[in-house]
Amino acid sequence: MTQNLADVDLRKRELAPSRHRETQDLPLANLIGEVDQQEIEALYKRFRRLDKDRKGFISSEEFLSIPELSINPLAQRLSFFVESINFKEFVTFLSGFSAKAGREEKLKVMFDVYDVDGDGFISEDDMAQTLRYLIGSTLAEAELRSVIERTMVAAGADAKGLTFAQYKEALGDTQLALNLEVPTGD
Amino acid sequence: MASKASFMRRTSANPVGLTSLKNIHLSSIDLPHLDGGLKEGVSPDVQRQIEALVDQARSEFPDYAGSNLLSDVLDISSPLNDAASAIVDDSFLRCFTSAVDEPWNWNFYLLPLWILGVVLRNAIIFPLRLLTLLLGALVFIVAFMVAEALPAKHRTLAERRVVQFMAQIFVTSWTGVIRYHGPRPVSTANRVWVANHTSMIDYAVLCAYTPFAAIMQLHPGWVGLFQKRYLNSLGCLYFNRTQAKDRTLVHQRMRDHVADPNSMPLLIFPEGTCVNNEYCVMFRKGAFDLGATVCPIAIKYNKIFVDAFWNSKRQSFTAHLLKIMRSWALVCDVYFLEPQSKQPGESSQEFAERVQAMIAKRARLTVAPWDGYLKYYNLAEKHPDLIESQRRTYSAIISKHVVPL
Repeated sequence: MTQNLADVDLRKRELAPSRHRETQDLPLANLIGEVDQQEIEALYKRFRRLDKDRKGFISSEEFLSIPELSINPLAQRLSFFVESINFKEFVTFLSGFSAKAGREEKLKVMFDVYDVDGDGFISEDDMAQTLRYLIGSTLAEAELRSVIERTMVAAGADAKGLTFAQYKEALGDTQLALNLEVPTGD
Repeated sequence: MASKASFMRRTSANPVGLTSLKNIHLSSIDLPHLDGGLKEGVSPDVQRQIEALVDQARSEFPDYAGSNLLSDVLDISSPLNDAASAIVDDSFLRCFTSAVDEPWNWNFYLLPLWILGVVLRNAIIFPLRLLTLLLGALVFIVAFMVAEALPAKHRTLAERRVVQFMAQIFVTSWTGVIRYHGPRPVSTANRVWVANHTSMIDYAVLCAYTPFAAIMQLHPGWVGLFQKRYLNSLGCLYFNRTQAKDRTLVHQRMRDHVADPNSMPLLIFPEGTCVNNEYCVMFRKGAFDLGATVCPIAIKYNKIFVDAFWNSKRQSFTAHLLKIMRSWALVCDVYFLEPQSKQPGESSQEFAERVQAMIAKRARLTVAPWDGYLKYYNLAEKHPDLIESQRRTYSAIISKHVVPL
């Protein structure tokens, strides 16, 4: 395989340090334990497949062109979350969903998706937005707000909203359905 | 707490990622919300699967008691898992992925032989093939001009024979080893031929045996010129897949063509797009709606020397042709299957599925229940009801916690 300049540039973009605050400059090697060599290769092939015009990152339209993803209720929220994601961020993001990831990691991913404004607290507005993605417009605003208030009270949140610790506590022993397996060697 | 049932298995036969419903307990009050009919974009097969699973849940959870406010509101792991699974691998894009070549030549013995092979193929065989193709094209152009000049009685026959000759030149330029099984198609009224689609070379492979008129997309560049100038004589029909109005017009012209016993056999690719010859996407019902007998053709390429799948987004047609010309040979089996008629009480879509099953079985393809045109449009935009039916389920869960005021 010849390495011409365009390819080298592309590689640099794909592996550029992450913009997301939690994963600043994490070398890919740190993720070993959850994502092994074969899975990284498979994910890379998948990344190249999704990155249609070889930009080095995947835009949200390219994500939403996957039919199964576009009909997911959380597709819009996720497309903001993974906007212009490069390969390193792609792997880091998906490692949280892995069947092999620890409970703490899984909860962290869920918390980050739920926390729409990304300030580290799930405020009532965050909750309202996420729930709207999930349930659409079937519930009246007042009813939704009442459910949100009761949830906040039940979880012991203060005015700013739920912290990660409170979120973790609230979900207690609930079985989390995050058990992603990367198909390798298909 | 009621135990979780495995509501939906995520298998290749169930691509509509609704495993998020797996962890949700449904009460009998919620289930009617899931019955809102799904439409195109997802085949009736998937719709039936979903309905079957709804019935199953209905029987397993007649009564739902106890829910946890916090986990119902805060636990978004199910839809997230679906989303991540779709990101990592989905059954739609799988249909358009080329097979991966594992390197086999990295050893002392095979590498020199392989290098010799590369030199032979590219430096000796390829120029000979290119020469054959160009000379053949010249002969074709001249012969076609002669055929056009003939009196009307012989003209159409001559033009068709000349186009068939060109298709044969193409096949020779790829060293096509093509085996045809089954009866040769003959011009008959009220018959239409359908085939699975892998690349535009399908048309040349079939025309080399017997010339067909086909419904095609008009392509840019030299292909378009070829289409407009020469293929019109066969009665080919052109359409634009993104124009909806075009469809009714083309449909009418198809009917007229099929009704005429002197017209060429009409070939239609009901998938509407090129697929990788391992899968078979949803057949569009247009060809099955004409009231004609459908003769299925199954085309299976042997990938031993070259992968004949044309990924039109990755490669231009010229690049695709050159790739084939630089390989050793193009090996292919074409099966002409038994003509099928629409059974009484069968809808066009069911008829299409039945014929698709026949072709898929013969060509050893896996049926994927997605519409091939999803390459060009966003499923959620066109069919928001597919999201709405999922939303109703979640809404039912959340609304349990609404305290009546």
